[in-house]
Amino acid sequence: MTGTALPLLAAGDPLFAHGVDLAVFVIVLIKVVVVFAALMVSVMLMIWFERKVISDMQSRIGPNRAGPFGIMQTLADGIKLFFKEDLIPERSDRVVFKLAPYLTILPAFLAFAIVPVGGVVTVAGHTFELQLADPPMGILFLLAMSAIGVYGVMLAGWSSGSKYPLLGSVRASAQMISYEAALGLSVVMVVLVTGSLSTRAIVDAQALHAWQWNAVRLGVVPFLIFFVAMVAETHRPPFDLTEAESELVGGFHTEYSSIRFALFFLAEFMNTITMSAIVVTLFLGGPDGPAPHIPHTQWLWPILWFLGKTIVFLFVFVWLRAALPRMRYDQLMDLGWKRLIPISLGWLMMVAGFVIDAWWGLAITGGVVVAGALMMRAFSIGAARESERAIIPPVGVRLWQRPPATVAPGHEESEA
Amino acid sequence: MDQYLPILVLIVLGLLFAALSFVGSSMLAPKKRPTAAKVAPYECGIVPDIEPPSRFPVRFYLVAMIFIIFDIEIVFLYPWAVVFHQLGTFGLVEILVFAGIVFVSFLYLVSNGALSWAPAKHLERAMPSRTSDSTIARISGNPDPLASGPPVASPDVEPAAAAASGPGQAA
Repeated sequence: MTGTALPLLAAGDPLFAHGVDLAVFVIVLIKVVVVFAALMVSVMLMIWFERKVISDMQSRIGPNRAGPFGIMQTLADGIKLFFKEDLIPERSDRVVFKLAPYLTILPAFLAFAIVPVGGVVTVAGHTFELQLADPPMGILFLLAMSAIGVYGVMLAGWSSGSKYPLLGSVRASAQMISYEAALGLSVVMVVLVTGSLSTRAIVDAQALHAWQWNAVRLGVVPFLIFFVAMVAETHRPPFDLTEAESELVGGFHTEYSSIRFALFFLAEFMNTITMSAIVVTLFLGGPDGPAPHIPHTQWLWPILWFLGKTIVFLFVFVWLRAALPRMRYDQLMDLGWKRLIPISLGWLMMVAGFVIDAWWGLAITGGVVVAGALMMRAFSIGAARESERAIIPPVGVRLWQRPPATVAPGHEESEA
Repeated sequence: MDQYLPILVLIVLGLLFAALSFVGSSMLAPKKRPTAAKVAPYECGIVPDIEPPSRFPVRFYLVAMIFIIFDIEIVFLYPWAVVFHQLGTFGLVEILVFAGIVFVSFLYLVSNGALSWAPAKHLERAMPSRTSDSTIARISGNPDPLASGPPVASPDVEPAAAAASGPGQAA
């Protein structure tokens, strides 16, 4: 049992095996620029893709003027935003207001760095991974970036000095921290069966055997929890309470115009792409997939598999937006705190038990069932207390005139 | 630490991109000074006369505090998960105790209604002296609309007493 996880721990990009010299640095620079450019282009395509797919689902044509099939529409919109007046509201906190877009866009970029895009290749005597960075703390880095993203949203809304952005950002912060707990708990299970925090090790562990993808191996539940939490983290529909147009205008970026607005928009779609890539990495084997034996193309297949799986998730993101109505805020919080977090905690204990042996696993499963029953009891107690506090006057009786004799014990404090 | 070099380069590139886009925007954007209406907080065209709220429902703060409990739990879970294969049964029992304690605190929170976000069912009226009943009574001249109105649900309130003491009726 012990020792299976050990070889994976000593991973890391072989590029840095002999220290950093000029050639290595140039390779790093090329990798960074390529990934950066690819991300920008894919964000552009993603926005176009979303608009096209949604318009198809709504029997509209969608953008079709700029370029073939309207594919340059995003570029046109972006260029247009450069020419727009850059307003800073007079009541805003100017420094924070200007800082917030940076804080939103940077984590969105950085989180992609740990995603393994392909296998290991050798170019001009240098062997390296098709992955920007492979730090031993990859998953922690991902969580850190998603936590920093909250600050950008929070500060943007707070510094605007306006009602709707403030409401939107408070909602966004509460939503993001709520789902971060569920997200973190479902990732713990992946780390548990892999025994490493490196994303490369996680991908390699899933490629060892057929049907060893974490989505299947852990039972489908952690995968689903991660997926729901990821949609909520990126505040995409149906969890887009932060920018609920009908109540909050534009949410936290209402006061932003010009390129600052464009950066928020960019960050949102970049987060969508990054999160799709990460769910593929953690649960669906990343670049793992069957490769036909065609000479000189062995490096290409992992990339194609990775792209294909990621595009599926991008489509699902768009699909959710077209198909589902926005949730109410209390439903959102209930789903996060009362469903996803307890379920992922219980499932984590079960996975840990089954890793030791089947008897432990079965015992813990029984324990989790008992705990679930206790939790349902706690929910009903909480709901009963809540309705006790509420004031519901009987039909036809005016509350403020009710004689003292009819006031139920629980009602007095609320009326006072 | 070499493994972090690409991340560093990416940070520099990302900052450069954001800074350059701001520079580009400031060069290309119109230079005129915005009017007072433009820099006012956005309020759908209405001149704002109420400050943005400085107080928020306490539940938001409560959620932030509860989050810290779970976040700390997760912080402890990650190192445990990495070395779980080496720890074996000992690690499992340890984490069961730990998760059990966190779960009990979660049960306490939930049964106190700390995580109930549904709107409270307060049906008090904002302006007790003016209701649709009182308006109907005022206009129609019928002094006692509830006497012939719907039956009273609460058995221990006499309809006449409740109605006779109703305010807002035409003097």
